[in-house]
Amino acid sequence: MAKPYYEPTDSIPLPPADAETLTTACDYCIVACGYKVYRWPIGKSGGPKATENALKVDFPRNILQGGWISPNMHNIISHNGRQHHVVVVPDREAKVVNKGGAHSIRGGAIAQKCFNPKKPTKDRLQTPLLRVNGELVPISWDAATDIFAEVSKHVIDNYGSHAWAQKRYSYQYFENTYALSKFAWVSIKTPATAEHDNPGHFSSTPGWRDIGFENFAACYEDYLIADTVVISGTDPFETKTILFNEWILPGVRERGNKLIYINPRKTTGAAFAEANGGLHLWLNPGTDTLLCMGISRVIIENGWEDSKWIEEFTNNKWESDSGFGQGVRNTPWQWRTTWGKFQCNGYEDFKKWLLSQKESELAHVSEMTGVSIADIRRAAEMMAKPKADGSRVKTTIGIEKGSYWSNNYLNTASIGDLALLCGTGNRPGQMISRMGGHQRGGMTAGGYPRNHSPEKFAGRRRKGLDLDRWVEAGKVRFSWVVGTTWVNAMTATGHLFDTLAKQTINSPHQLKSTDTKAAIEVFKQRTDAGGMLLVEQNIYLTEDLGKKLADLVLPAAMWGECDFTRANGERRIRLYSKFMDPPGDAKPDWEITAMLARKMGFDGYDWKTSNDVFEEAARFGRGGVLNYHPLVKYAKKHGKTGHEQLREYGTTGIQAPIRLEDNELVGTKRLHDLSLALPESGPEGHTVWPKKLKSFNSQTGRANFIKTPWFLFGDFYDEIKPRDGELWVLNGRINEIWQSGFDDIIRRPYITQRWPENFLEVHPDDAAKLGIESGDYVTVTNDRVPVQVSGFIARDVDDLLFTGLKKNGHIVYDKAEVKAVAIVMPVPKVGTTFMYFLNQKESANRVVPRVTDPISDNYRFKLGFGKVAKSGESPYKHTFAQMSFASRAIM
Amino acid sequence: MNQNLPDNQQQTIIQAGPEPQGTGACISRRRFLLSGTAAMACTILLPGVAGAAGNIVDAVTAKYPTKKVGTLSQLKDGVQVIFSYPEPTVSNFLVKLGEKAGGGVGPLEDVVAFNALCTHMGGPMLGSYKHEHKVVGPCPFHLTTFDMKRHGIVVAGHATESLPQVLLTVEGDDIYATGFIGLIYGRHQNT
Repeated sequence: MAKPYYEPTDSIPLPPADAETLTTACDYCIVACGYKVYRWPIGKSGGPKATENALKVDFPRNILQGGWISPNMHNIISHNGRQHHVVVVPDREAKVVNKGGAHSIRGGAIAQKCFNPKKPTKDRLQTPLLRVNGELVPISWDAATDIFAEVSKHVIDNYGSHAWAQKRYSYQYFENTYALSKFAWVSIKTPATAEHDNPGHFSSTPGWRDIGFENFAACYEDYLIADTVVISGTDPFETKTILFNEWILPGVRERGNKLIYINPRKTTGAAFAEANGGLHLWLNPGTDTLLCMGISRVIIENGWEDSKWIEEFTNNKWESDSGFGQGVRNTPWQWRTTWGKFQCNGYEDFKKWLLSQKESELAHVSEMTGVSIADIRRAAEMMAKPKADGSRVKTTIGIEKGSYWSNNYLNTASIGDLALLCGTGNRPGQMISRMGGHQRGGMTAGGYPRNHSPEKFAGRRRKGLDLDRWVEAGKVRFSWVVGTTWVNAMTATGHLFDTLAKQTINSPHQLKSTDTKAAIEVFKQRTDAGGMLLVEQNIYLTEDLGKKLADLVLPAAMWGECDFTRANGERRIRLYSKFMDPPGDAKPDWEITAMLARKMGFDGYDWKTSNDVFEEAARFGRGGVLNYHPLVKYAKKHGKTGHEQLREYGTTGIQAPIRLEDNELVGTKRLHDLSLALPESGPEGHTVWPKKLKSFNSQTGRANFIKTPWFLFGDFYDEIKPRDGELWVLNGRINEIWQSGFDDIIRRPYITQRWPENFLEVHPDDAAKLGIESGDYVTVTNDRVPVQVSGFIARDVDDLLFTGLKKNGHIVYDKAEVKAVAIVMPVPKVGTTFMYFLNQKESANRVVPRVTDPISDNYRFKLGFGKVAKSGESPYKHTFAQMSFASRAIM
Repeated sequence: MNQNLPDNQQQTIIQAGPEPQGTGACISRRRFLLSGTAAMACTILLPGVAGAAGNIVDAVTAKYPTKKVGTLSQLKDGVQVIFSYPEPTVSNFLVKLGEKAGGGVGPLEDVVAFNALCTHMGGPMLGSYKHEHKVVGPCPFHLTTFDMKRHGIVVAGHATESLPQVLLTVEGDDIYATGFIGLIYGRHQNT
């Protein structure tokens, strides 16, 4: 347990002039600011003159100079077995992303993530563990890999590859994701795999896939040089801090840009938008599609659409139906093609459809969304009304999970249509992009083995498997969980916990000793009886999965403990340098994977270094957005490794896809980029020019308008809409704990002090009715959490809508409760509350329905609901050392 | 040993004798945080005596000077009053919140003082106090806000440290600064 209070110090050691310097990037949010690590042996320190310290700057530092080392930037680590000081500071020489050394509260305290046996990180996993007589006890790597391999082989031989599951992060560095996916998809060929944030392998923005937009097409400069920036379902002030501070905020202050926030919470960024001539569309949860349709109607009725651009860059009637004769239907979800509900025969058809929909009528939109008609009109004006001289407003759109995790297909499609009306998508300052959550560290070997998936739409292509339902159906007998909580991260958390407990700790087949042979036999018996061997591989034991359920635990190395690579939200790839030893016997995930693969008898896992994996993986990313293959080839030609080449780029890195031009490597600033000049001589060397470099990623390279029929979501929305005193219980991220929850809520004392427990933001009007004050403990109870079970085959659309699922017996109802500390402030909209999403002890996901989007199979994570009641007073209510109950939207 | 604290917090208190009572009692920064009141925070008033007399000695605050920084009777609710401490170039502010606060002095324990530079990038925090919220900010640079009732903890924003709080003590109507909790922006040591 961490200390409840951060102990502020009033001095820090300075790195001496001869301290070693390494470059890295922050491990946390998508923006991935550039950092420098200064390392020197204990017993020394530098002085305040520029000549006396490794930063080569004079102390004290002045305002905005950068180069200050805050106490949270210092730690003591082990390097080659000896204690060293490190300071991990934002790179004040950074030329990109965090120019001049800007940082967030997360990255600025990242040094506290380093393993230090005298600090709260002391509970890092350091050796493999096996659950014997209910307790986790240390065992050797040899024993652990034997058990893993023998039980895996038994399960695959007797029950098939789809009984062997892998649940893993999608992002924790190219080297690791490549190794893990090679193991599951190439060597085992199991379809029973899922990434950390959904129950299978699905597109996060399926509407955009149909339109032709890539997820991370924009660069950060686009948010600066636009006139209007639309931000939907997120506040980058909170969760993309440096994108906001260094790119969005200067655009408002220096260029007079306008911001439009679409969000059920009025956070700091939304309040800033309103205070600076922008808009906050404070909408009811789950109604984004209707709002976008309403804004689109205003644009169309006023003739503000960018007709010339639409003519040139969107598909007409014939083009919509082209491309293998399937046109817009030629998508990863061909199984739904018979529905015919989405395809438009060109813009005129879309216009006719939209204007015919009751759901786009402003009175209806206003009633459903809670946004005034005046604000809907104002948003349309700011996005699309031509200026007095006839020139067009440049609109850039960024979305994130509040949008696509409340109504996945329709929200992404409807805001994509809105972008097309504005002429947004393929020009500087006129881009549409995901703003991002975690960094982009996924590099996979081969593809997901969809053909092995048992889930399908009758007569059509197979769907990716929903792992959570597959486990519940009793089909999984081995699960390897890497770097994710699984339980807390999925909806209807309690239901999933019960499912996993039934097959593990509640199985009669439990270990009585650490004897390896005996353990293998017991686990084989357990799997033969329908149970499961559950393996957690992580840096810390997770609360539910690790501490309560896992049979076998494998200790992983993390950021700073091995050379790794990955990309940020503008596809910028950097080397994340190793600068400290992993604790104990912990190893990087790629190395653990290789050990396990060799025990299984698989070929192709003879890597010696992480660079070996990086270079092998390069070949598999050639056609993709993160293609770095030319860099590896270039490095080899110049007698270097791929990692060495990338290290030379320091914190600047290089933007993927990487190309070769005139024998030099060049990055790609944005995708679908009309302004990109490519050599007439064609692609050079190993360079690949995918269509998406200059065109949209559709059948023709031009974009598709997509219909967004409300019925796909309407029956589910009617089911879950709060009633009888219930409130929405949104879950999401906040600045202090975002992409850093796996270590810092519990293990970075300043953050622990700020957020000692999970919280529930309640609007003052709701709080008054419920008799709740800031600092009160509250319970959120939901006695009707819908949970989707079984049902791996559907015949038509009706089968997959909520009504059809319920009619066919695929919906059961669960009860759930979660506890939090109330904070009363006018940040969530009336009728809406907000809770941090991934507190492992009090999981917001408990009160969230487990019903997937019928098109994409993504969860609607954001739409929790329940009754809120006071249950007592927290110790923070009348003391001052921890938490804060002040508003997060003070301007 | 302090029997009221768990093992892992013991090292933060250097204690050589029984805790004295009343005016003149000295206390560590740790206790300052825990107690939520600065009525006892007076490490420095008898600096030469404290250690020798065997009272609680705070190793950090002991190096700071004691300086009169204001008077209670001249403070108005919600108005920031600037003062320099521990050196003439370091600006801080006093503010009377009108509500009891962590580290507050005066009859209502509502008078607090903080350094005036944002601990994110050094932005000036003078003139941005919001009395309705008891919050200083948003910082003019990147909008960070700090909670004056709660030892300057970050409300929303980017600083990795609370706003450094000036330890205060009161003698009659006079307010004295006696030390700091936290490192002042830009510095590697406060004194």
